[in-house]
Amino acid sequence: MMTAADVVKEGVYFVEGDEACAIGAIAAGCRFCSYYPITPVSEIAEAMAIMLPKLDGVAIQMEDEIGSMHAANGAIVAGLKAMTCTSGPGCSVHMDGYGWAIKNEIPVVIIDVQRAGPSNGVATLVGQGDFYQARYGPHGGNSEIIAIAPWNGQETFELIIEAFNLAQIYRCPVMFMMDEVIGHTREKLVVPPMKEIEAGLVDRIRDPGVPPEEYKSFGHLDTPEAISVPFPAAGDGYGLCLSPYTHNEMGYPSTTLKDQDRMARRLIQKVRANRDKLVKFESAFLDDATSVVVSYGCSARSSLTAVKNLRADGRKIGFFRLITLWPFMDKQIYELAEQADTIYVVECNLDGQLSREVQRASSGKAEVIHIGKAGVEMHTPYEVMDAIKQHLSGSSKG
Amino acid sequence: MVTETKIHPLVEEYFRIDRMPHLACPGCGIGMVMKYTLMVIDELGIDPQKFTWVTGVGCSSRLPYAVWKGDCIDATHGRPLAMATGIKLARPELTVMVYTGDGDCLSIGGNHFIHACRRNVPITVVMFNNQIYGMTGGQVAPTTPLGYQTQTSPYGNIEEPFDGAKLAAAAGASYACRWTAFQPKRIATSLKKGLTSNGFSYIEVFSPCPTQFGRYALKLGDPVKLAMWTQQNTVDLKKAETMTSEELRSKIIVGEYIDVEKPSLVDRYAELFEKAKRS
Repeated sequence: MMTAADVVKEGVYFVEGDEACAIGAIAAGCRFCSYYPITPVSEIAEAMAIMLPKLDGVAIQMEDEIGSMHAANGAIVAGLKAMTCTSGPGCSVHMDGYGWAIKNEIPVVIIDVQRAGPSNGVATLVGQGDFYQARYGPHGGNSEIIAIAPWNGQETFELIIEAFNLAQIYRCPVMFMMDEVIGHTREKLVVPPMKEIEAGLVDRIRDPGVPPEEYKSFGHLDTPEAISVPFPAAGDGYGLCLSPYTHNEMGYPSTTLKDQDRMARRLIQKVRANRDKLVKFESAFLDDATSVVVSYGCSARSSLTAVKNLRADGRKIGFFRLITLWPFMDKQIYELAEQADTIYVVECNLDGQLSREVQRASSGKAEVIHIGKAGVEMHTPYEVMDAIKQHLSGSSKG
Repeated sequence: MVTETKIHPLVEEYFRIDRMPHLACPGCGIGMVMKYTLMVIDELGIDPQKFTWVTGVGCSSRLPYAVWKGDCIDATHGRPLAMATGIKLARPELTVMVYTGDGDCLSIGGNHFIHACRRNVPITVVMFNNQIYGMTGGQVAPTTPLGYQTQTSPYGNIEEPFDGAKLAAAAGASYACRWTAFQPKRIATSLKKGLTSNGFSYIEVFSPCPTQFGRYALKLGDPVKLAMWTQQNTVDLKKAETMTSEELRSKIIVGEYIDVEKPSLVDRYAELFEKAKRS
C-alpha cells in the first residue's frame, strides 16, 4: 500500500504550473480525476494518470467534458474528493453538470486553465476571458460559487489544496482559475513534508449526527449561512436524494415558491454571508497610493513590475491582486476606490470583465480604467506602464 | 365514501411511502417494471443501503426518483451513465442501477451510453423505450418508427430509429436484451443476471405509453388496446432473423442480443492499481 507521502515527496522541484497543480491536488486528498484532453491543461490530466493509480485513485478520460463533469460529481456523491480539469471550451461544455453540482452542493473542484477565446480561440496561448463564465455560466441564476486564481507555480500548489478545503467547508463547487501562462511556466516549487500538508486538510463530514431515518438530504435549507454541513456518501446508509430539480429539505422535487425561495437563499447565502471569511487578496504600496493597479493571474505579474517601475519614477501608485475572484470582494474594492482617484484593471481580455465588476463595486468613487489585451500574449510591464502614463497625461493628473 | 388503500408489501418494505402514489399514467409500463425490480431485489436479498438507484430526465426517471429508500441520485438529462460511472468507480462495492429512457439514453445521452458499454462499467441499466418523448408532451424520439406521427413529426417521422440493444452489444456491453413490459418473467430473469453480473447490463423494455405514443402515433389512447397492439407486434429475435427489414418495420424485437463474461472496468482498474504501484 502506497501513501500520499510516497507520491508527493518533500523537496524542491522545477515544474510547470500544471504539474504543481496536479501534485497539489494529490496532496489535498483528491482521489478521482476525470478529464477530456484539451490544451493547455492536458499536462494536469497526464500527471494525474501517473500518480492517482498508485494511491488506488481513479484517473479517467471520459468521452467528453459533459461526461467528465458528471463523473466527478458521481465520485463525490460516492464519497471521494474529486476534480475535473479543462480549459474554456471544456468549461462551456461543463455547464450542465456544473449547474447540477451547484444545485446539489457538491464539493467539486474544477480547474480551468484559461486560454484565448472566444470559441476555440488559440488553444496554446493565454487568455483571461472565463471570469464571468465561472460565475454566471450555468443558466437559471439563484446561486453563488467560489473561484480562486493563482499567479505562480508555488501558489498554484498551495491554492489547489485550499480549493479542496473550501469546497468541503462550503459544500460548494470551486473554480480554480489558472491561465495558460501560469499552467505552462516552469518555476521553482517547494513541496513541504506530506505530514505538514495533511495537518491542514479539511475532510468532508460524512456523519450527519442523526439516525438514518431522521436524515434529510437538505435539512440545512433553513440555515442558509451554515458551513461545514455534513454530506454523507451514497452507501453510507442515509438514503441520499439528489436531483437537478428544485428540492425541499428531503431532496424531493418541489414546485412551490417556498421551496424555490429557501433553496435559492441557501445556494447564495452560504457563500455571500461568509464572504469576509472567504476572500483573499494581496496588496503592495497602498499606503500613499492615489491610484491602484488591480489584476489577477498572469496579468498581475506584469502589473506588479509595472507598479514598481512607476514608483521608481516617483508615481504614487499601488498594487492589488485578487486571489479570490468569486464571491467578488465588493468591500475591499470599494475601500480602494475611496482611497484612490483611479483604478487601473489589467486583464487578458478586451471586453473588460474584471474591470466591469471593479467598476460596479467602486460605486463611482474612483475612475476605473480597463487595460486589456485580447490574449495570445500576456501584457508586458511596459504595455501596462504606457497605458497608465498615457491615461495620466490625458487626464493631467500625473 | 372512504376507500381503503392497500399498500403492496414490497412497496412498504423498499419505497418511501410519503412519495406514493407514483406519477405513472394508467397503462404505463414503468410502474410495472418497478414492481418486477422490487421482486428481484427482494429475491436477491439486496441491502437497500448498498444499492444506488440512478436516474436521468423523463418519465423513466421522474417516476422512480426519490422513491427508493436507499440512495436516489438523479442526474441531468442524458447524464445518468456518466454519473453512475463516477459512483461505481468511487465505490465499487455498491450495486448501481440506472433507470433511463429512449430519449435520455439514446438521444441526449447517446455518447455516454456507447462509452459506458465500451468500458463495460459494471452497472445495470433499465432503458424504458416508449418510442416517444412522454414527459414533454409527445415529440418524436430516436426510437420512433419510420412514418409515425408525433407532435414534432406531424407528417410522419422521416428518420430511421436506433436499435438500442444492438447498439449496446456492438459497443461492448457484456449483456444486452429487449423485452416488453408484458414479459415479467423475462425481465426478472434479465434483472437478476444484470444485478449479479460483473459487467454492463443493458435491459431495454418496450414500455407502453397510452398517453403519448398510443394516442398520437397509434391513435390508440386505450391502455388495453395498446397492450394488445404490443403483443401483436412483438417478434422473437430468432424469428426476426428470418424476416426482411420491411416486415420488421415498427415491430418490437425481443430477446437477448449478447450475454458474455469479460473483465469490467472495475476489474481493469484493480489491475492498473497494482501495475502502477510496481512501476
